[in-house]
Amino acid sequence: MGQNQAAHASTDDVSGDEEFDPIGTLTLIGIYFVILVLAWVYIYYIEFLGRDLVVVG
Amino acid sequence: MSQAIEAEQSFVDKFPEEARLVRAALLSSFFALVLGAIFGIVQTLHRTDVARIIPSTDYYTVLTAHGVFMVISFTIFFLVGLFTWAVVRSLDRPLVNTKITWTWYAIMATGMTMTGVAILAGFFPALDMSADVLFTFYAPLQAHPLFYAGLTVFIVGSWIAGADWFRTFLAWKREHPDERIPLQTFMVLVTMAMWYIASSAVAASVLLFLLPWSLGLIDQVNPTLTRTLFWFFGHPVVYFWLMPAYLLWYTVLPKIAGGRLFSDPLARVVFVLFLLLSTPVGIHHQYLDPGIAEGFKFISMTNTMFLLLPSLLTAFTVVASVEYGARQRGGTGLLGWLTDLPWRKPEFTGMMLAGLMFAAGGFSGMVNAGMNINYMIHNTIWVPGHFHLTVGTAVALTFMAATYWIWPQISNKPIYSRTIGLFQVVVWFVGMALMSNAMHAQGMMGVPRRTAEPEYAGFDYPLMFGGFEELNVQIAIGGTLLFVSTILFISNLVLTMGNPRVSGLAESLPPAISGPDDAPRVLDSLRLWVGIALVLVVLAYALPLAAIINRGGLLGPGVGTYPAWVTPVLDALAGAMTPLVSVLGKATALLVGVVA
Amino acid sequence: MHIHAYEKLWLAASILLILLLIGSVTYGAVGPGVAMVADSEQPIDAQGLDEDERFSEPRVEQVGENQYAAYVVAYQFGFEPSPIVVPEDSTVTFYVTSRDVIHGFEVAGTNANTMIVPGEVSEITVQTDGAEEYGLICNEYCGAGHHVMEGKVHVVSQAEFEARNSGGDDA
Repeated sequence: MGQNQAAHASTDDVSGDEEFDPIGTLTLIGIYFVILVLAWVYIYYIEFLGRDLVVVG
Repeated sequence: MSQAIEAEQSFVDKFPEEARLVRAALLSSFFALVLGAIFGIVQTLHRTDVARIIPSTDYYTVLTAHGVFMVISFTIFFLVGLFTWAVVRSLDRPLVNTKITWTWYAIMATGMTMTGVAILAGFFPALDMSADVLFTFYAPLQAHPLFYAGLTVFIVGSWIAGADWFRTFLAWKREHPDERIPLQTFMVLVTMAMWYIASSAVAASVLLFLLPWSLGLIDQVNPTLTRTLFWFFGHPVVYFWLMPAYLLWYTVLPKIAGGRLFSDPLARVVFVLFLLLSTPVGIHHQYLDPGIAEGFKFISMTNTMFLLLPSLLTAFTVVASVEYGARQRGGTGLLGWLTDLPWRKPEFTGMMLAGLMFAAGGFSGMVNAGMNINYMIHNTIWVPGHFHLTVGTAVALTFMAATYWIWPQISNKPIYSRTIGLFQVVVWFVGMALMSNAMHAQGMMGVPRRTAEPEYAGFDYPLMFGGFEELNVQIAIGGTLLFVSTILFISNLVLTMGNPRVSGLAESLPPAISGPDDAPRVLDSLRLWVGIALVLVVLAYALPLAAIINRGGLLGPGVGTYPAWVTPVLDALAGAMTPLVSVLGKATALLVGVVA
Repeated sequence: MHIHAYEKLWLAASILLILLLIGSVTYGAVGPGVAMVADSEQPIDAQGLDEDERFSEPRVEQVGENQYAAYVVAYQFGFEPSPIVVPEDSTVTFYVTSRDVIHGFEVAGTNANTMIVPGEVSEITVQTDGAEEYGLICNEYCGAGHHVMEGKVHVVSQAEFEARNSGGDDA
């Protein structure tokens, strides 16, 4: 997403290390997010709700 | 250059007494790990029917030992060693009074020995002492009083350890009145605050009910009440295991990766969230309990889902810190930077694999937490599949990896073989992937946990991502790899201890990219957060506990006492000849196959 | 306090994920109507089951139009009755209690799963489909014979159910 330049400049108070954008992290964690959502939908709606003897009371 | 390195003092140079305590605690931890691993391999081969060298009735003694030694002794001894190092290092001052330090360590060692003796005595019927009650020790199964007494003594030791670190922090604070709490010390203090809250309930359950009951001072206990008090503690204890691993991921892993912690303030926020949310969720271990209203279970579920947040945030912050290190080393591209990391170092690869495995464990944890979906997997082997990913890898593998990094600094001895270390952590990951994956699949077909023989006479399991038998093979292979990995780890450490001392092993930790001064002061206000945590605990537990006591009484409701061995065994054997005969037949066939 | 924009995005995504999870569970409770084992039944004297009308004779009986009640007792190390015979395409409520220690009641491969706590009665209602034989496992450690503790749940045709039930209790 967009680079929050003002925020970076005012709070990164260490010499020589401005503006580090962890785009690789965002990518990896985005993939993880998609896997989680798909796996959850499968296991809850298909596997769990599809089984015999669902407890209804 | 070499003179500059020689001038830098390592942790053991600066704080020799504290370093000795850290080494003792870590060695106690690894002693428990080895015992736990031996029992683990016996279990793995037994329940998969690969090699049954003990009678199935003894399996539960093995299982109790494996559970208690691994998740109480191994984890908590490592924690007290690590936290002592972290406090002393980050405050850059010695502990206030090392006599107290050695006292609490001795108390913990005594307690664990008492409990260990009570458990292991279960192998020797003549001793008339046993504790075949498993790590959760649910009444009305009853253990020998030494079991309960030992656990109490151990926990009291850990309380004194926390007080020791608080005192040291207060002494530092008097000398540095306006400074922010250094991050590692902050993490230690917050973790211990959570621990005091969490362990109070199980201490109460043991001291008020289970110990007097096992001594014959009271006749009966309320099973639902003691279960609920156990799980009041039983969920936050997993964070007691995890938070030391998080401390390492936040403060040490970035350094190993050549980077810096992405955000100190967020690390503080994460730890505060654990303090607030770890305890008011215990009822999610009791979703299928009768005697507890659905409303309480629903509240526990929503609290638990929010407890995902600090872990999800940790994933981002830690990976970002590592990415920073990779890019500092010249890494480029969206994902190409992953190759610019010190994968040859076992401390790095171990922690990264541990984190990766934790991501998978998070998913199975979501399923466990999902209240109604819990029907599908409760008490199946899915559950051990889950926690071997979390405590078994995220925590255990991180601890082993961290040892490669920290041991030289607390002993001035270089690691005997980094190559074996690297091989060992990878073997752990592979073994756990095989074993845990198969456990999850078997759980989905309904295979139960905590049983010596998961095959039954009257029916077969359905197919689920493979058949029951082939998944057993995977579990056996995976478990064997884990055992091999443990032996390699211990051997490497023992050989390291035989190395001569050298200098130049000091390592410093770099400051965070976004440092503590970016964190709002309120984060350091421990009193505020403890207060809120207590309010949340009361909100989550006052009504359920009152309802449970109202229903069944403090000491009710008229349930008997069941030592976990003795006559029911004989009755069971009498009533179970058919499966026994088939097992004997298989064992004979196995023996014949081996000998012939 | 400065939070990087990407981490803020991840924080938002995490909260969305958490809401998805809570929402799914809520949907499960409201839509298909999955209900949790709870405190609907009164506590019971575990050592006095012989005086309880339901559990002195564990059995399955009809209690309404296509509605059945199964009274089950768990003990070290088995279930009574075994097999538990119920008719297909019906609503069955299991009432399960323990004579001694905590046990588990798991119909293998299905969603019928509950803890059995002495002094309490677990009540779960399920709807059976077609005829099938399920294994019944005790999935909570209950002592040295835990691994031999098993039973059966037979879902049978209406005709077979009537024939077996009128013949008295199966051992």
